[in-house]
Amino acid sequence: MESILVGLIILLSVIVLVQLLRVNELISEVKNEDPNEITEKDNNTQGILTFLIVGVLFLAFVLWQFKYWGIHILPPASSLHGATIDTLMNVTLGLIIFVFFLTQPVLAWFSFKYRGLKNSAAYYYPHNNKLEVIWTVVPTLVLTPLIIYGLNVWNDITNADTTNSKVIELYAKQFNWTARYAGEDNSLGKANYKLVKGLNELGVDMEDENAGDDIITREVHLVIDQPVLLKMRSQDVIHSAFLPHFRVQMNCVPGMTTQFGFTPTQTTAEMKEQEGEDFEFVLLCNKICGAAHYNMKMKFIVESQEEYDTWMASQKTLKNTLTLN
Amino acid sequence: MSEHHKETFLTKYIFSLDHKMIAKQFLITGMFMGVVGMTMSILFRLQLSNPGESFAVLEFFLGEKWAPGGVLDPNMYLSLVTMHGTILVFWVLTAGLTGTFANFLIPLQIGARDMASGFMNMLSYWFFFAATLVLMYSLFVESGPAAAGWTIYPPLSALPQAIPGSGLGQDLWLIAITLFVVSSLLGGLNYIVTILNLRTKGMSMSRLPLTIWALLIVAILGVLSFPVLLSCALLLIFDRSFGTSFYLSDIIINGEALHNTGGSPILFEHLFWFLGHPEVYIILLPALGIVSEVISVNSRKPIFGYKAMVGALIVIAFLSFVVWGHHMFITGMDPFLGSVFTFTTLLIAIPSAVKVFNYLATLWRANIRFTPAMLFAIAFVSTFITGGLTGLILGDSALDINIHDTYFVVGHFHIVMGVSAIYGMLAGVYHWFPKMYGRMMNKKLGYFHFWVTFISAYGVFFPMHFLGLAGLPRRYYTNSAFPMFDGLTDINEVITFFAIIGGLVQLLFIFNFFYSIFKGTKASENPWKSNTLEWTTPVERIHGNWPGEIPSVERWPYDYSKPGADEDFIPQNVPLKEGETEH
Amino acid sequence: MQLTLKKNKTSKQLLWIGIVSIVMFFAGLTSAYIVRKAEGGWLEFEMPVWFTISTVAIVASSALLLFAAQNARAGRSATNLLLGTLAIGVFFTYSQVQGWDDLVAQGVYLTGEGSNASGSFIYALTLMHLLHLIGGLIALGITAVKSKQGKYTKDNYLGIQLTSIYWHFLGILWLYLFLFFTYA
Repeated sequence: MESILVGLIILLSVIVLVQLLRVNELISEVKNEDPNEITEKDNNTQGILTFLIVGVLFLAFVLWQFKYWGIHILPPASSLHGATIDTLMNVTLGLIIFVFFLTQPVLAWFSFKYRGLKNSAAYYYPHNNKLEVIWTVVPTLVLTPLIIYGLNVWNDITNADTTNSKVIELYAKQFNWTARYAGEDNSLGKANYKLVKGLNELGVDMEDENAGDDIITREVHLVIDQPVLLKMRSQDVIHSAFLPHFRVQMNCVPGMTTQFGFTPTQTTAEMKEQEGEDFEFVLLCNKICGAAHYNMKMKFIVESQEEYDTWMASQKTLKNTLTLN
Repeated sequence: MSEHHKETFLTKYIFSLDHKMIAKQFLITGMFMGVVGMTMSILFRLQLSNPGESFAVLEFFLGEKWAPGGVLDPNMYLSLVTMHGTILVFWVLTAGLTGTFANFLIPLQIGARDMASGFMNMLSYWFFFAATLVLMYSLFVESGPAAAGWTIYPPLSALPQAIPGSGLGQDLWLIAITLFVVSSLLGGLNYIVTILNLRTKGMSMSRLPLTIWALLIVAILGVLSFPVLLSCALLLIFDRSFGTSFYLSDIIINGEALHNTGGSPILFEHLFWFLGHPEVYIILLPALGIVSEVISVNSRKPIFGYKAMVGALIVIAFLSFVVWGHHMFITGMDPFLGSVFTFTTLLIAIPSAVKVFNYLATLWRANIRFTPAMLFAIAFVSTFITGGLTGLILGDSALDINIHDTYFVVGHFHIVMGVSAIYGMLAGVYHWFPKMYGRMMNKKLGYFHFWVTFISAYGVFFPMHFLGLAGLPRRYYTNSAFPMFDGLTDINEVITFFAIIGGLVQLLFIFNFFYSIFKGTKASENPWKSNTLEWTTPVERIHGNWPGEIPSVERWPYDYSKPGADEDFIPQNVPLKEGETEH
Repeated sequence: MQLTLKKNKTSKQLLWIGIVSIVMFFAGLTSAYIVRKAEGGWLEFEMPVWFTISTVAIVASSALLLFAAQNARAGRSATNLLLGTLAIGVFFTYSQVQGWDDLVAQGVYLTGEGSNASGSFIYALTLMHLLHLIGGLIALGITAVKSKQGKYTKDNYLGIQLTSIYWHFLGILWLYLFLFFTYA
């Protein structure tokens, strides 16, 4: 019944539209003009509209969004390398916004200014080599330092020295995260997917001497200003470990290990003060991985050395979990 | 070739060898797929702005299984996202755009009777049609259509246990894309050979309209990159159907350890993006060509810097083959390789900037006639600027770390290749409709369609940058699982509102299109006072394009408002006057 | 005459550009092979003798086809030589299947427990080459029939030319694959 009604409404609106167009055409016929010819009046109206909508309304909408939605942008990075990313981002954004507000108004203004009116004529101007060289060279000159700057930041991040970093493994599977601390020896025991069984949910090879002191946890605690090296693995499909507040992201790919090193610079408590009581550092999955992709999370907590030690003391090593149970 | 056979309905409309009819077949199939893809986006937008709420329209389209009680199922959400991307990227913006305008414009603008091989051209359409049927059929299989994203990264796309859409739906997806690639290759071969061999007398390469230059480069890109997609898909088919381990390694799924070892999903990504990135330009370049033509005709001015425009197209096309790694900065690739890809990617900004400045210079001191096509062309320049600029952020590997796969990316590529290419396509349809059907499209509906589209497109995609900067990942069924995203509801509501408006107004365009085919006012032979050769043929459809001799070409296509001429345009077949220099 | 010349030229160009796209297809697959091999865990094995026989066969078939084209150019019948090429082509197919049997006998499998990517690649690549070759066999068959019917003249034997280009290309492609498997 409902679909019949919807069908009828659609049919009726089509008929109404057809009739409107017919009337419009009849009126033009009476006036002895072509209803679809572009007239000077059209050029005038559309030229003004282009100026108002492209040049004013759209740009105002962009500014409005920065004012009212800018607050949702992530707070400044809570990691050492993140701060350098933020600076690079601000420089790039500044450049982009500048060019944006330079070119869009020009586009709107030219469209309006040179709308075809009575007696107006176009200026035959097929090329000007000098101009073309200028606007090839200027973007090149602007881009070169930007590229070099970006590459420097990238190299600093990816080539960071991680010898003194605490090693933590992030293990992804549909649809949750597990962490494994490397323990006293700061070295992760080997793992093999064929060993995943029962309590040994990460497939750690207990024969490996580095494995016994490894600690499996459901949330990650980090010590402020202490570097960590995250090593990622996946059990099933590609996931991506995304820690937006730390400016950290790395894919977790089955069959290989990837890694990302960083140093947190703000504690959760400090962030709560700054951003509100509900604030938490979170780990998200950022690569489509299945039905509950949107709900794959783990809490990260940054705290002082003492708090960390207390928490760590309450965790069981793998040797204990696997043998005592 | 010009002899007239008796045409039956079947040979005229269905198994036509005439390039103009094949172009219309591509266009109408593309428009149909456009409506399907757009409807899908509106369905999942409803879930994103009102997560978990019940909508009768969801149940109407998806049924009790995929929208129980009118609430979208999470698996179906991913299927919709996947199919929306697949349909828009391949079916609408590759086949719908290139298939239409390459077929329609190449013979007419270079002065040829038809394509080099009419038969291959027909096959190209029918492979495309078969691909369409298979893809549409996959919407109705029990386990749902493909759901691993349009980039179908394995292992997700390889394992039916990981997501239901990776069952039969993914098989059909792969069959459809294989048929699609065959169709594209048949078309591409034809376009290249036609442009190289069948140009009329006097049509040197430096007198080719920019549309043809763009279509030629697109065809070359397609012939070089689509086979690689096929080889990438082939290995996936082997992994899925025969149990090989090209892309699979060390996997436990549903508690079962698979035997596969040694495969690499990253290998898939390399092969995929080797096609995938040129594909972006396969979508964008035809739009650039169309827009160049439309802007020049309606500015009544030559396109500024013709040679630079061609050069920029070639440079962009070349660079598009050496930038694919910028989709993979965070896959753990070698940092040095990341640096190289950052470098090559950001270089694309230079030819793009040249194109933008040349468009602006063309508009300077013009005498603009605001046809709906011209408005879409101007809007194209606007979105090309906006989307191109955010590319500077995404192409920079260091910045990509934190916005990779967020809504910032969604906003960026929808503006720069989605909306821009759609604008190019719509500009093309409005501009060449009189030549296609001998009638005019309704101007007032055209204006209305344009302004609502322009406002809603920016209304949908500009706010997405803010979602991305807030850290919101794409392809999330809902953002309610993370309190940090709670403040984003109002942005999502605005986006969905504009998506619905923007979607509805496209129906008005389709109405205008079909109404004008039958009832539009009759068009004259050259309604836009344009220079290119297609406007020198009569309105009636002729198999062979020109009733008598093919006109020979005497000048470049952009002699608008040339000093000393009687009118503000000089068609390409008008000989140079005594003492007149070409340009 | 002018028109046929033009048609011949465009047909050949269509084929050449088609060949370029086939080259890209195999370039994609063989670069995947190289990338995958560099990652290690790669099973080395002996190339089956039958693949060497395939190589000899396809070179011989190309030689026959060269003579066939020469006959057509001189206005003589090319039918028997075309049929000869076709026969060797069919033998090539047979030798490929025998080669796969050899591989299985060596314990190199396409898939399943104990299979290795190196084996999977060799099966996939040879199978894809064979699929293209079957297209060539069909073309040879059609050309042979047309030649028998006397459809080719001294001045116009486009069908034989196109089939030759494609068949020689398949031969070169096989040589490339064979050397690639042996030395890469």
